[in-house]
Amino acid sequence: MTLATAAVAQDKGVANAETALPPPPTAWYAAKPAGAAAGPVTAAQLARGAAKGQWLHYGGDYRNFRHSPVASLTPASVKRLHVAWSAPTGTTGQFEASPVVYGGVMYVSTSYNRLLALDARTGEILWRYDVQLPSDLRLCCGPANRGVAIGGDLVVMATLDARLMAFDRKTGKVAWTVTIADYKEGYSSTAAPLIVGDLIYTGIAGGEFGAPGFIDAYDLKTGKRVWRKMTVPTAAGQPGADTWAGDSWKSGGSPTWNTGAYDKETNTLFWTVGNPSPDWNGDKRAGDNLYSDSVLALDPATGKLKWWFQFTPHDVWDYDGNTQLFLVDTVLGGKPVKAIVQPNRNGYFYVLDRDTGRFLRATQYIEQLNWATIDAKGRPVVNPKAMPQDNPRDRICPSNLGGMNGSWSGAYDPATGLVYAPSIEACQQYAKGIAVYVKGIPFMGGAPNTVDANEGKAYGLVSAVDVRTGKVKWRYRDKRPMMAGVVSTAGGVLFTANQEGEALALDQATGKKLWSFRMGGGGRGQPIVYEVDGKPYVAIPSGGWAGLDSFAGAASNLPEGGQLFVFSLN
Amino acid sequence: MRKFAAYLAAAALAAAAGVAASQAQPPPPAADQAAPAPPKPAMTPDDLARGKALFTGTCGAYCHQANPAAGPGQGADAPFLFGCEFKHGGSDEALFQTISQGVPGTRMVPFAGAIPDDDIRRIVAYLKSASTCKAP
Repeated sequence: MTLATAAVAQDKGVANAETALPPPPTAWYAAKPAGAAAGPVTAAQLARGAAKGQWLHYGGDYRNFRHSPVASLTPASVKRLHVAWSAPTGTTGQFEASPVVYGGVMYVSTSYNRLLALDARTGEILWRYDVQLPSDLRLCCGPANRGVAIGGDLVVMATLDARLMAFDRKTGKVAWTVTIADYKEGYSSTAAPLIVGDLIYTGIAGGEFGAPGFIDAYDLKTGKRVWRKMTVPTAAGQPGADTWAGDSWKSGGSPTWNTGAYDKETNTLFWTVGNPSPDWNGDKRAGDNLYSDSVLALDPATGKLKWWFQFTPHDVWDYDGNTQLFLVDTVLGGKPVKAIVQPNRNGYFYVLDRDTGRFLRATQYIEQLNWATIDAKGRPVVNPKAMPQDNPRDRICPSNLGGMNGSWSGAYDPATGLVYAPSIEACQQYAKGIAVYVKGIPFMGGAPNTVDANEGKAYGLVSAVDVRTGKVKWRYRDKRPMMAGVVSTAGGVLFTANQEGEALALDQATGKKLWSFRMGGGGRGQPIVYEVDGKPYVAIPSGGWAGLDSFAGAASNLPEGGQLFVFSLN
Repeated sequence: MRKFAAYLAAAALAAAAGVAASQAQPPPPAADQAAPAPPKPAMTPDDLARGKALFTGTCGAYCHQANPAAGPGQGADAPFLFGCEFKHGGSDEALFQTISQGVPGTRMVPFAGAIPDDDIRRIVAYLKSASTCKAP
């Protein structure tokens, strides 16, 4: 820069030479409208959910089954799977997304909030948007994003700096952006939003910062917020305030960082809530700490609470209630039941009446569990040795990450009545420390000593749980924790990925490994299955994040870097 | 922008302290220098216990490995602080600066104002007391 141009820059109020340079491109819009042959995504299409040619929701459908009607991927045919195409994310950090497919276009988000629109058949890039994020993000657990929601002509993504952004699905241009919360107060957003009708629902993360949790509804067309339901009290005397000592609810966390479910029949929105803050020191928040570690049933139009059920009252282990909900019509004791079921992070598989929230049953779905038993009303009876201590010696199971964890998905096959739940098998020593609360500063109050992970004793399971009995029908065992999502199919094959960097196909009837392919990166994403022109495709993300994954017991030597693999049959 | 400038200044300070810490013995003070600063008060076992509890409760878990025996690269993405190597300086002063001012562009937020200076010094003393570094 010459002195003359510097002077000009100064006159315009430009602070230095660098800011006068043109900014790097952050968006590459579609050269011609992408997916234009398909019309806007309708409410009826969203209600139908997964179909052969499309995958519209993080959970596959409003019931979160993550079950594809594609029937051509069978135990016999999967041996013919090969890579059809692949796409890099260009980012590090765990690649946790579930892609969405509509109109022949795949919309997939990466860590650090890149959003890619790809030809679902060839992988050709159609448009791309890199969200510009501040350098002082408040993240507990990595720069993950688990996917987008689609509705009308908009694709909606939540961001790590706690914004909600809507993009034109055909061009990639931003339609609107709203701030969900001030990220500097400890908030971030990682989950795929959920669209029902004209409203879009999103939760928030921040339970490791004491940031009060909430569930929000926004107008899909304008981005204007319609309602907010807090998950902790906001004033003394409110319902639940008496379950927090003093005013500890002010820094009570209870985040909502996973995608919810929607029941069309009763017009009810279900959303899960995570840990109370601080995580591992409950001394100053005596009480049950409502609505932490709960499932809430809400009126989707107003956010009004219909009922709630708390899985882990006064949690001091970080057993977030945020794992996937399945809305299952089943039979218990010979009687038909409209159930809501969840493989909870605390190691128990819960069955509730989804019209009333009444507890029906809890059974252990992981192999190692000693933190509590569950009484007839569904309340844990805690093992005294499980309480965090200054110098813990006892190994307590499951680990603070679970069990199953809300950062990956399970699946439910209506034909078999089985829920497929990937999980970590590990125990920890729960150490208690001093928690210092200041907005935007980590507020955890302890640290699990990851002894099993450090000693190579942690391993992984995919468990097939029979919803009717709560019994485990089969387990697939892997030498590292299973921390990727699954998708089941009408062909009887389940797809997932492991921490050895392999894509896997399992037999849904037996759990037997049918096929594998070395993708290279740790499996942390949510696979999907779809068809284009009658040909089946399986999309599986590859790429972990050693920081968190090794906390659970995954290999820390796998290099990072996301890559999407899409397989098809010869 | 001002905040970013403050970050840079803090980082430079921390880096400088780190360089100083890695150098050989400093030269002896010249005879005409002012009297040396009074020695720092020694940390008591209670101070170290509080430093440990603060580190466990605020810095461990999803950030730094809280178990000195675990070693680097195990179960945490933030740097291992019980070893021989430090990204931003391993002297007491460098560690104090890094904790109080944070590291721009990382998850390490500034703790100045959130944790009193005396408690930050207790955390530093605990880290040193629990170090597994065998280097001379």
